[in-house]
Amino acid sequence: MKALFITLLFALFLPLGLYSAEDLHVVSLDAADAVAGHAEDGGVISELAGNFGITWPTLIAQMVNFCIVAIVLYKFAVKPIVATLDERQQKIADGLQYAEEMKAQLAAAERERAEKIKEAAVDAQRILNESREQSKEMIEQKTQEAAAQAEAIIRKASEATEQERKKMLTEVRQEVARLVVATSSKVLSRDLSDTEKSTFSESAAKELASAGN
Amino acid sequence: MKRDKKITQLAKKLVELSKDDNGAVTEAKVSEVLAGLKQVKHRHHLTVLKSYLGYLRREVALQTAVVATPSALSDAALKEIEANYTKLYGRPISAVTNQDTSLIAGVRVRVGDDVYDASVSGRLQCLAENVH
Repeated sequence: MKALFITLLFALFLPLGLYSAEDLHVVSLDAADAVAGHAEDGGVISELAGNFGITWPTLIAQMVNFCIVAIVLYKFAVKPIVATLDERQQKIADGLQYAEEMKAQLAAAERERAEKIKEAAVDAQRILNESREQSKEMIEQKTQEAAAQAEAIIRKASEATEQERKKMLTEVRQEVARLVVATSSKVLSRDLSDTEKSTFSESAAKELASAGN
Repeated sequence: MKRDKKITQLAKKLVELSKDDNGAVTEAKVSEVLAGLKQVKHRHHLTVLKSYLGYLRREVALQTAVVATPSALSDAALKEIEANYTKLYGRPISAVTNQDTSLIAGVRVRVGDDVYDASVSGRLQCLAENVH
C-alpha cells in the first residue's frame, strides 16, 4: 500500500521534475544562447507551458491540493481499504494455516485409523483363536459328558438286569419251594400210613410237652 | 365312656368270680355268677352280659390249649401237654383236640395268641420260607 502511495507521489512530482528540468534546460539553453548569442529554437517547453497556462503558483497550489486530497484519500479511503485487505489477507492466511492443520490432523487420523484397524485385526485374530480353543475344549467336555452318561446308562441297565435276574431267581426259588412243599405234602399224606402219622404225632406232642422244660 | 369303664371293670370282676380255687373257669362258677346277675338286675344288664361273655371267652381261650392233629392223640400225650403249658404259663390250661388233616402228621398247639407248631406241613412251610 505504501508502494502505491509512493507511486502516486512519484506520478505527482514527475511533472514537477520534468518542468524543473525543462527550466534548467531553458536556463542552460539561455546561458548557451547568451553565450552563443540568441539561439532561435530554445524555450520550447516553456513556451508549451505557457501555452497551456502552467505557472508556478498554480502548480504549487495544485500540488498542495493534490497532497491534501491524497492525505484525505489515504486517511479515509486507502487506510480502511488497506485494513480490509490486511484483514482478508490475515483470514486467508488463517484459512491456509487451518487447512494445513486440518491436513495434518487428517493424516494423524488416517494413521490412527490404520493403527486401530491393525489392532482390531490382531484382536479379531486373538478372539478367533480363543473361540477355537474354547470350542475345542467344549467339544472335549461334551464328549466326556456323553461318555460318562453312556457309561451311567450302561451301568444302570446292568444293575436293572442284575436286579431283574435276582428277582427272577427269587421267584423261581419260591416257586420251586412251593412246588417242593406241595409235592412233599402230597407224597407224605399219600405215602404215610396212619400208624406212622400217629407215631409222628405222639412224638411231636412229646416234643412240645418237653419244649418248655 | 365312664359307664363303659364301669361295665368293663364289672365284667372283669365277674370273670374273676367265675374262676375256682385253681384259677380255672368252671361251668359251676359261671352258673353262679349268672344267677347272681339275674338277681341283681343291673340297669345295663345286656351290656354287662355281652362284656362278660367277651372277657369270659378270652379267659377260656387263654386257659385252653387247642391241639390240632390229623389223627387222635393218646390221653397221656394230652396230659403231658396240659401239664407242660400249665407250668409254662402259670395258670391251669386244659387241652382240647382238633382234627386237622392238612397238617399231614404231628401236632400244632395254640394257647391264646401263641402257636407251637410241630407238624409236617409246618416244617415244610418253614423249609420253604428258609429257601426264600
